[in-house]
Amino acid sequence: MATGPLSIKLRCASWQQLATIYKRDLSRGTMFLKATSPPALGTTVRIDLTLPSASVIVLTGTVDQHVTDPARGAGVELKLAPIAPASIYMIESALASESKRRATPAAGVQIVAPLQSGGTGPVAALADGEEVGAAEQDLVKALIAEADSLRKLNPFLVLGVGYEASDADVRAAFGELTKRYHPDLFTRYESTQLRQTAAEIFILIRDAYRRLGDETGRAQALAALGRTAAPRAVPLRATPPPVPVGPPRPPVPRPVTSQPLPRPPEARMPERPDPPPLPRAHTDHSPTSRPGDMPTAKPHVISLTPGDALTSRPGDSVTERPPSGAMPAAPTPRSMAIPRMTGAEPGRSQPTPTVPLPPGQTFPSNPAPNPAAKVSSSSSMKPASGTEPPPPLQTDRRLPINASPPPVITENSDSTVLEDMLDAGKLDEALAAYKVMAKKYPSDRTFRAGIELTEGLRSLAARDRLEAAQRFEAALEIDPSNERAARELADMRRQATNERKGLLTRLMGKKEA
Amino acid sequence: MSRIIGIDLGTTNSCVAVLDENQRPETIASAEGERTIPSWVSWAASGQIAVGTRARRQAVTNASATVYGVKRLIGRKVNAEDVSWFARLAPFRIVAAPNGDAWVRVHGQPISPQEVAAHILRRIKQVAEEALGEPVTRAIVTVPAYFDDAQRQATRDAGQIAGLDVIRILNEPTAAALAYGAHRVKEGRRLIAVFDLGGGTFDISIMSVDNGIFEVLATGGDSALGGEDWDRRMLERIVDEVFDQYRVDLTGIPMAMSRLRESCENAKKALSVETETTIQLPFLANDQHGAPINYERVVTREQIEGLTKDLLDRLESPCARALSDAGMQPTDLEEVLLVGGMTRWPAVEQMVEKFFHKKPSKGANPDEVVALGAAQYAGILAGDSNDAALLDVTPHDIGIKVGDSQFAVVLPRNSMLPVRARRLFATTHENQKFVSIELYQGDSQDVTKNRKLGQVVLDDLTPGPAGSTRVELVITVDVESILSVTAREPKSGREASVTIRPSGGLSQREIVEIINRRRQENSQAARLPEMESGGVRVTTREHSVHSLKPPTGDPEKK
Repeated sequence: MATGPLSIKLRCASWQQLATIYKRDLSRGTMFLKATSPPALGTTVRIDLTLPSASVIVLTGTVDQHVTDPARGAGVELKLAPIAPASIYMIESALASESKRRATPAAGVQIVAPLQSGGTGPVAALADGEEVGAAEQDLVKALIAEADSLRKLNPFLVLGVGYEASDADVRAAFGELTKRYHPDLFTRYESTQLRQTAAEIFILIRDAYRRLGDETGRAQALAALGRTAAPRAVPLRATPPPVPVGPPRPPVPRPVTSQPLPRPPEARMPERPDPPPLPRAHTDHSPTSRPGDMPTAKPHVISLTPGDALTSRPGDSVTERPPSGAMPAAPTPRSMAIPRMTGAEPGRSQPTPTVPLPPGQTFPSNPAPNPAAKVSSSSSMKPASGTEPPPPLQTDRRLPINASPPPVITENSDSTVLEDMLDAGKLDEALAAYKVMAKKYPSDRTFRAGIELTEGLRSLAARDRLEAAQRFEAALEIDPSNERAARELADMRRQATNERKGLLTRLMGKKEA
Repeated sequence: MSRIIGIDLGTTNSCVAVLDENQRPETIASAEGERTIPSWVSWAASGQIAVGTRARRQAVTNASATVYGVKRLIGRKVNAEDVSWFARLAPFRIVAAPNGDAWVRVHGQPISPQEVAAHILRRIKQVAEEALGEPVTRAIVTVPAYFDDAQRQATRDAGQIAGLDVIRILNEPTAAALAYGAHRVKEGRRLIAVFDLGGGTFDISIMSVDNGIFEVLATGGDSALGGEDWDRRMLERIVDEVFDQYRVDLTGIPMAMSRLRESCENAKKALSVETETTIQLPFLANDQHGAPINYERVVTREQIEGLTKDLLDRLESPCARALSDAGMQPTDLEEVLLVGGMTRWPAVEQMVEKFFHKKPSKGANPDEVVALGAAQYAGILAGDSNDAALLDVTPHDIGIKVGDSQFAVVLPRNSMLPVRARRLFATTHENQKFVSIELYQGDSQDVTKNRKLGQVVLDDLTPGPAGSTRVELVITVDVESILSVTAREPKSGREASVTIRPSGGLSQREIVEIINRRRQENSQAARLPEMESGGVRVTTREHSVHSLKPPTGDPEKK
């Protein structure tokens, strides 16, 4: 069995069985367990005793002696830790009410039976509930993995909605996810750990919903993603098939997607000069940043002329992106976005991140330190909330763009072409192409990640889910902004969770039957 | 089959419901056919305890030992304003426990409100068991949305003392909305307000019902305002009148107060329908000369409305606040649902109509709808219904004390549960060694007016000038409103965390004592051993009592 304390599950199908256990075991503070290979004396055992009414009482005990009971066979006797009187009282009052209901002495005779046969109901075997316990653990693991992969997604991807989703879309997506992951819906499985892990996932979902629930929130989230509806959205809809969630291409300036990962901006500095990130960065479309990038542009990029970018946008929700450049605009939405991501409610005034603490407990903080702290509070804001990194990043990004315009365009088109290939299922071709590109631009994470991504998709097609998951993980490792890999990974994990949930439900149903 | 019962533990009446075979909620009637159980408990001089209608019948003859309205006392301090008001007019004694909590005194014995509530819950459990023909251990108990953590925990403790496994505390308006939404066919998103004015509490919730998702957008209320306040106004008036006329202070005569209270409540009920009624109380008391006072008075609805105008006004501001918290105008709401007996009062209905600009719907029986919703929720938790989920919110701001008595909110009220919020704080002293972070819950800027939840201490901070050291505070609240707090210094990675178990006023030890006392009483009645007369040699109760020591505070029990 598992390591650590042994855990068994004991279900009482009837109150009669519970009465037997109560009399024979609980009231003496002991419990007999059948065991073919008895564990060492002193081993801790945890017993989840489920009453017929489905209340679960957790008993803990240690192996006190090995016994061979003529009636019940070989096993161990546990010495139980004191049981909470509230639990005992619950059992007693339930039994009292049951006995009042059926005041027939015949009941007593039935109770003897399981005692002597020793096998069926109330005598627990050490391996009891092993299957269910294992299924529960599997589900917990699946949920943890899913939470991890969700953390790597931007809020749109968490909810699985397109970047131009409406209020109703967002709500509907949230509703569906809620019906899957709300911790209440895990209460039926009896394991508190399951509920807690589900809650972790649900918190991610609700935070995403909170951010995207209304138009302004979505605009800010888009801005934080560097994905102003502007020039991007328009060509996107115009040229390639209107895939809403679809291959979200020039995704996302890194800082945002990678936000959950501990990735200091400085660490990225060396990589920035190299060409590859540029293609994506150039979607940053601040008018100043595109001296030479127009000419060679492929279809989707064509509309990226400054004029177009600004005029073709009116229908879009994002209005506050000023032509004065992304620089000043970006920090604002971002700094707003961050506190929210961390879970505070958006609708309500978000506190300044720093507030003076009271000094040690007793002395009232004197007036002097307070202002001091306030002053520092403003400076502390940036390091604290992580708002600092983005602005320099953006400035930097623009520099290389100016420095090396031509490759930018070609690559950008290539990478979109590559993603189109993936969409079309031409995995082998895509893989070959990614390899070529990776060779050409060895420092570009995008292509290296693309290789892993494509390999992952291939494995998935071959139903090798383990390999696929590892490949997607690797892709994300290389390029945390690779939405496609993140999405695939999240999908896989969701599926895994569903399967395990199904298994556990079936096992529990079997037990009950 | 494992049944979870839904209990509406009300100020004046309680109700229990369960899902039937077709997953439809149904209230359970007692053997006497009552669908609501008066929340009254009475102790006869012999020690015999009566609950429900039987207790209520003793209100006159045994006034000082007949307790009602414990919901107003549970988890509260005796010096709270409304508690002292309640105490002044209640025919039974309300006393202060050593920790300042409001307890009742019956036959000279102080009794916690939790224990009184437990008697009611035990009776409810019994009614359910008789009707269902099987023992019941699991329950969902509803409380006003506006209850704070102490009141909620105290209600949980009451369940524990009653031998119930309270698997969830559910907010009453949410329960009502669930019951109400359940009967509707699926349609688009509906924004509704649930206006719940019960015997002792008032709640307003703004909700969205969308394809099985019941989302609370904002909630507000007054946990000390309800129908009994209307009765009380009438009562006070009559007490004054009697004093003016006969120079007799009725407040010193429990039996008279009891009868008067009862009459006032009946008069109010009558006036909900008619415009005029008569209160008749022959032999209410004796006047100064020992002659009997045969009290008789005509009361009109108008008079009562005049006496209670300010109570109506108190209903408005929570509504306005909840609406603004939800970011809405009254016109955004599609429907306003009335819940609770006091919404039958015409002036209340008019106030609602005026405020929300629409005629409120009265839906099903306002006395049963909360219990029905709780039963419905039981179905969700048990996995019987897969296409619904309930999203509730935190009713009050949660934050910490900064400076002398400022309240820095970390988790604003009306945050959807479960939730995690972070906020950074800085030290205020040079080379500060540690911080002691005190957590509070409440809506006041002044922390002393809020309720302290607990504290966490983080020490060995990195030395530095004031304000240079940061402490990140992370507060997580789960669906059961259990709070865990982590304080962390990002620089050093040092952290401290606590899970705050709210206290309802009774310590775990006290609860255990009450339970053990109860078990002993039960064992004297010796009901259990008769269950098995043959077969197994029954272990005696004495044995069991000794071998099961009080727990070492097992907090893992769910």
